[in-house]
This record gives sequence, C-alpha cells and structure tokens, in this order.
Amino acid sequence: MNAPIAILIASLFLAATALNAAEDRRERVLNDRKEVANAGQWIYNDLAEGFAEAGRTGKPLLVVFRCVP
Amino acid sequence: MDKFVCVRVVQANALDLALFQFDYDLTFAVFFMNADRTIYGRYGSRSDRKDATKDISIAGLGEALVAALDLHKHYPANKASLAGKQPRPARFKTPDEFPSLRGKYQAKLDYEGKVVQSCMHCHQVRDAERRFFRDDRKPIPDEVLYPFPMPDAIGLSIDSKTKAGVKGVAAGSAAYEAGIKAGDEIVTLDGQPILSIADMQWVLHNAGQPARLPAQVRRGRGRSTLELRLDKDWRRHCDIAWRATTWDLRRMAGGGLLLDEATAEERKLAKLPSDVLALRVNHVGEYGEHAVAKKAGFRKDDILVSVGGLTGRMTESELIGYLLRNNMPGDKIPVTVLRAGERVDLELPMQ
Repeated sequence: MNAPIAILIASLFLAATALNAAEDRRERVLNDRKEVANAGQWIYNDLAEGFAEAGRTGKPLLVVFRCVP
Repeated sequence: MDKFVCVRVVQANALDLALFQFDYDLTFAVFFMNADRTIYGRYGSRSDRKDATKDISIAGLGEALVAALDLHKHYPANKASLAGKQPRPARFKTPDEFPSLRGKYQAKLDYEGKVVQSCMHCHQVRDAERRFFRDDRKPIPDEVLYPFPMPDAIGLSIDSKTKAGVKGVAAGSAAYEAGIKAGDEIVTLDGQPILSIADMQWVLHNAGQPARLPAQVRRGRGRSTLELRLDKDWRRHCDIAWRATTWDLRRMAGGGLLLDEATAEERKLAKLPSDVLALRVNHVGEYGEHAVAKKAGFRKDDILVSVGGLTGRMTESELIGYLLRNNMPGDKIPVTVLRAGERVDLELPMQ
C-alpha cells in the first residue's frame, strides 16, 4: 500500500473512532438527563427551581456539580 | 437524602461565580446550602490525576450530610459562624464574561443539537481565569496558580472516611508545630465549622501568605484551640501536577513539556545528588502551542538540570510557578538538559 492511501485509511479510521466516541458521549448526556429525571428525587440542571423548592419546603439544598461521566 | 432538596448540575455554562466558588478541577463537587443561598459547607476533593476517589468516600459524605443538617437545624442562630464560608467577591459574574470564553457558549445546553459541544466544563473556568492574567501580561496570583490546597500542604493527612479526622501529621510541618496529632479531629479552622476536607481547602484557599489560622481540635473528650502558622511560601509547594488545568500551564511555562521528578535510579546513573534539579521530560507536546518546546529542541527523556540559572531541587509544580511569576510571554529561558550523559544547552520560550 502506498503512503498516501495508508494515510487516508488511517485518517478515516481515526475520524470514525472520534465520531463513535462523540456519539457515545452524546448518548450518555441524553440518557443521564432521562435517568436522573426518572429517578424522581433530583432536580436536573435547574438551580432556580432548587432554591424555590428549598424555600417552599424549608429543607436545605444539596447541590452536586457532576459532569456526565 | 430526602431531608435535602437535591439538585444535580452538569454544566458550567452561566455558572454563578459570585456564589459557586470551588475547586474547578473537580469532576464531583457538592454544596450544602440554605434557600437564602447561605453556604453550610462543601464536599469533594481530589489530589490524584487517575484516582478521582482517593480523597472522597460514602462514609465521609455521610458525615458531612449529617453535619450540614445539624447546621441547618440551628440556622440562623449560627449565621455568624458561617460568615467565613461564604463566597468572596468575584472578578466576573459568569464564566462567559472571561475574555477567552466570551461568546463561545450559550447559557443552556443544546439538547436538540450538539449537546456535548455546547457544554462548558468546570475546569475551563480556572483555565480562563489564568489566561485573563497571562494574556494581559500580569503575574498569575498564587491562589489562582495553586488553588484549593489539600491539607497536606500544611502537613495534615485527613482520613477521607471522616469529616476531618487526622490520620497523620508530617514532622516539622505547620500542623506539627501547632501541636496537632494523629487521632485529633479538626472541629473548626479559622473559626469555620469543618464538615469535610473540602471545607479545610476552602479555608486554605483564602488564607494569606503568611497566615495564622486558629484550629479547634477535639482530642478524646477534650477540645483545645491551637494556632497554625503558615510561612509566606507555604502555598507554592502545593502539588498541581494532577490537575487538568495544569495542561495549559505547561503550555505557558513549559512549551508543552510534561516533567516528572527523576527517580533515585536515574539520579544515580546521571550522578546527580538528591538536592539538585532533575526533572525528566515525560512527554513533549506535538501540536500548536504545545509543540513549542519540541521546536526548541527538547526531547523525551531529557533531564532538566538547570533552568534560568536555578539548579536546586524542585518539583514540576514549583518550577511552573517560578517560571510564571518571573517571566512573561516572549521571554526565552536558558535551560541545560542531560541527554545520553551529555549536557545540552537549549532555550525554552515562554508563552
């Protein structure tokens, strides 16, 4: 195989890998929101709602900053 | 957990920097708060690049949760004791006000479109803060270079399964000189009730150079107040090598070099005593501004033995701080490396 073709194939492979990784991450981000919302106990990504709920209930807030793994 | 209103935040976009001040290198950080935005405490610590859970535990978080509920129960009568836990004035209200982040992110994630790319990561806040100073050719303040020091910076090893139980004290350290002993529990530090290692880091993050910090410790059934005396350079010995944000510092101060301390064996082979500089190039950046050192002639496995005339032993973290304090973009630092036993003189460009 000559060098330009090898480089092209390698580039396509790397691009495909990167695309898969990006798709995986996108899925994880979307699923994370769904799963946390379905679990019920957590307010997802909405601090204003959290503060309002704490004001209504008199409970303290537990605010967790956590990237989607 | 049902005693709390639980909020999960996954983005730094539009983060209120005047309220949420924490170690932005973390991938897990917790605030215990009142609805009026008073902060009871923080949880979440890290000191290792690979092991994100070394300094946290379910048991430790559990103790912090119980202590936070206790503070909430006695609030607002205890408000004065929480004053030191509250945020400091912020340079910018939100991350997108930093020049290097301006206009790049929307306030909300784009769930219908490119959601991953629309997410600003917490570490980008610290990166932007450092760039703000560096791009303006101003020294980066020590607390921005060495943020949220772990208690080991003052000689304390804390058991992560507790709120603030002392596991060990380094001989000769500030904690040792203050009289703190293994088995003690740090109840308050600088007057602030301590719920976690992160709470101790908050106190240290805001401590001066030098500083005197009162520490109330529980020892057996008794309590006593001791005083920690921190010298003017205490913060500069903190290890920042594990931090994601140090990647950009390596660009600024190292042209993309990743440095490790030479091992005892490597020192022996190179005939370098234990008290002299010996930082081995673990990785040479390949692209863009991270390839500047490569273009200047540095190679993997070179051992730096002199940098700008400095030849005394120091860590990569200390060297980065030294170079950034004393040099500006465009400066070139004379460096001598050992390469296959030969001394080679090079110049390291600052960015």
